[in-house]
Amino acid sequence: MAETIYGYHGVVLEVDLTNKRTGRIPLTKEDARNFIGGRGLGMKLLADRLKRPGVDPLSPENPLLFMPGPFSGFPIPSASRTCIVTKSPRTSPLESKYSFASTVSYANMGGFFGPEVRFAGYDGIMVTGKAASPVYIWIDDDRVEIRDAGKYWGMRTDEFDRRFIEDLGDRRFRTCYIGPAGENLVTYACVINTAARAAGRGGTGCVMGSKNLKAVAVRGTGQPAVAEHEKFMSALEDIRKNFRAGFNGGSGYDDWRRYGTASALISASDSGFQAVKNFAEGTFADADKIGGIAAEQKIWVRDFACFCCPLSCKKAGAVRNGKYAGITHDGPEYETGTMMGANLMLSDLDAVMKAIYDVDDYGLDNITTGNVIGFLMEAYEKKLIDRAFLNGIDLKWGSAEAILEMVRKIALREGVGDLASKGVKALAAKIGGGSEKFAVHSKGHELAAWNPHRSLDLAITYTTASRGACHLNSSSAAGQNDYAAAESIGLCLFALDGFGKDGVRRLLSAITGFEWTEQDYLRAGERIYNLERALNCREGFTRADDALPARFFEEALTYGPHKGAVLKRDEFEKALSDYYKDRGWDLKTGNPAPEKLESLGLGFMNAL
Amino acid sequence: MSERRKERITLKDLKPPRGNSRREFLKTAAGGVGGALIADRFLVRALYGRPAQAQTQPEKMVYSMIVVDFNKCTGCRTCETACSSFNNKVDVNGKELPGLGNPASANIRVYPYNPDVDVPVTCLMCEDAPCIEACPVEPDPQTKRRALFREGRLPVLHNDLDRCIGCGSCAEACRTKRVRAIIPNRETNKPERMCTLCGGDPQCVKHCPNEALSYIVEGTPGHHYGFSPDEVAKALTELWYKTE
Repeated sequence: MAETIYGYHGVVLEVDLTNKRTGRIPLTKEDARNFIGGRGLGMKLLADRLKRPGVDPLSPENPLLFMPGPFSGFPIPSASRTCIVTKSPRTSPLESKYSFASTVSYANMGGFFGPEVRFAGYDGIMVTGKAASPVYIWIDDDRVEIRDAGKYWGMRTDEFDRRFIEDLGDRRFRTCYIGPAGENLVTYACVINTAARAAGRGGTGCVMGSKNLKAVAVRGTGQPAVAEHEKFMSALEDIRKNFRAGFNGGSGYDDWRRYGTASALISASDSGFQAVKNFAEGTFADADKIGGIAAEQKIWVRDFACFCCPLSCKKAGAVRNGKYAGITHDGPEYETGTMMGANLMLSDLDAVMKAIYDVDDYGLDNITTGNVIGFLMEAYEKKLIDRAFLNGIDLKWGSAEAILEMVRKIALREGVGDLASKGVKALAAKIGGGSEKFAVHSKGHELAAWNPHRSLDLAITYTTASRGACHLNSSSAAGQNDYAAAESIGLCLFALDGFGKDGVRRLLSAITGFEWTEQDYLRAGERIYNLERALNCREGFTRADDALPARFFEEALTYGPHKGAVLKRDEFEKALSDYYKDRGWDLKTGNPAPEKLESLGLGFMNAL
Repeated sequence: MSERRKERITLKDLKPPRGNSRREFLKTAAGGVGGALIADRFLVRALYGRPAQAQTQPEKMVYSMIVVDFNKCTGCRTCETACSSFNNKVDVNGKELPGLGNPASANIRVYPYNPDVDVPVTCLMCEDAPCIEACPVEPDPQTKRRALFREGRLPVLHNDLDRCIGCGSCAEACRTKRVRAIIPNRETNKPERMCTLCGGDPQCVKHCPNEALSYIVEGTPGHHYGFSPDEVAKALTELWYKTE
């Protein structure tokens, strides 16, 4: 028996699908301390397994990690997240000597899955290999089984969610799964739980599909030990008491509860930050038709929350009448509403709901799907492609039917959907004609629903993110380190305000028994971020890959209060250099300096 | 607070999911109010009666229970952790402290459904207690208690572990006739997870971030609907997600 690591079980469950074997990987105290859990520990375990660059992300060699954090499984507000870590099937550098060069990938989902993994007795689950035929993994505390999933293969996520839990025979099981998109290896397939929450980005569902893994079901009765019980309970009491006030004195909290992220549908549009018309614009004239207020009146039924989260930012909804009557699904929220609405110039809220539902139902990433369809709409409008290219679809801006048909084709990789299933970078390479200027991605990963036209900060946020363009990142090294640490703890980024200045560290110290200073905490985030960068550089990514398409530098916004806004290349390059300097990365290559890695305890990356 | 969240929806507002509920009382009750909303004397009185307050006669049983407003519940399961924490104290250096709130030991449990419905389930403190009825242990001649019994001010269930034979009849009675509040222990099969009302200060009510749970005392004893979670979910789904 290994020594007790407080706050951890000290075990990561490994399920080898090729050899139908399960094993227990012991967690070292050093890794727990240095990489915390979640995203960070997942990256360390990924680095341990990927001994060489250029591993095909869809090969059995690429591990897929389901990572809760040290907060998961304790009744801490919003400690509900699960980070899925793997090597990305989505990204590629401009140049590399490896044919399968790609970045790391991590995608974070809310719900109840991560806490349940910890109840079952694990600090994470690592899936390796590839099953010969479709399977699901069944975990009930110590019992782990690889079971046949043949009858579920091809099933969409909504139906699967209902059927699977019935078949499991206990609603206390927590599940996550892929839809047809993941099975068909659409590169931007996602992992879904509760039929609506998604580890959406970075192609985690594609990697899951490549392993013939339909789902993971987990149920447990345990909990890790905490080092200092009394301190933990008193910190928890304080945080619960002051949680609401942390959000702007309470008004922010009330806003989260009432609208979730959907409040941004109108505010982002008003401030020119919305992705509109394939990111050509930042303001959507019809934002009020798809915004939080409209959704509240027309669609939303109730609030629902993740584990122990008082914010309950998710809104369950239903389409009551009309063509799409009968759809029951969550949303729209900011990302889904923008990518299926504003970015495609679709202002019919019922149709937006239907599109969001279909995208989730097939198990696609909403954000990339909105990018791909937006890109094709623009290429079609500019006559770079014709109707024949689109298999007869009249893909005009705002056409709900055309959007829904494209979603189906992508998920099934039928006709034009096969090429579209690879993302906008691949589409632009095929279509040519200057379309790469409006293929909105960084490193092959499409941008989220925030338009960077008027924000250098957003541009740095997107271009320096480890998984390719990512909005859940910051523009400064310190901010990025903070987020990386928070995503390693199992905590939701939306809830951080509720913890005050030192609440997170107080809890973490009581749980682990280490005294976490602010410096230690940010240092761990820095270590994680640098590990990700080093892994990316090893694949061949350089400064040249930290780029945005020409659209944001050459085509100013033409509409709305921020008409005329555009990024300036020299300013962007300067900001990027400043950021690198701050990071201690080489200004030309973007590589973390060997001494930097050494000082962070990442010397092993220099040796590789 | 928006309109959609003002209306209170509790068990008393639910139509039976099907016309022919297996609960006998429903057949009679439904007729009385035209089959629309079913009024329950106990709950109506309880809901619009007096709020929780200190008890003065400690030994007289007072009908008290936890009532759920389904419209406000978000399924976050904070109640489970608060319940478990209070009812599973731990000894830390000789000090008795609340536990870490492992939901596996909670007496209240939230069951999630698709479309999104969450059904918190806890002991309903049924007046007729089919669980006690089902206990086959011969009543003690002096105390008149079976292995499963109630006593004292709160109508909560107690199990005499020494006399309990672990037959599971109580859990089965609750599962088939009421809400499946009793969960037998995995090893001993003896009943567990019965609501204690936390001695009169229910922690689930206290910690619910949505005011979805209320503690009702001095309700008039009456019938309970005892819908199973599946039935509640079905009724709520029809209520919330119906199309026009």
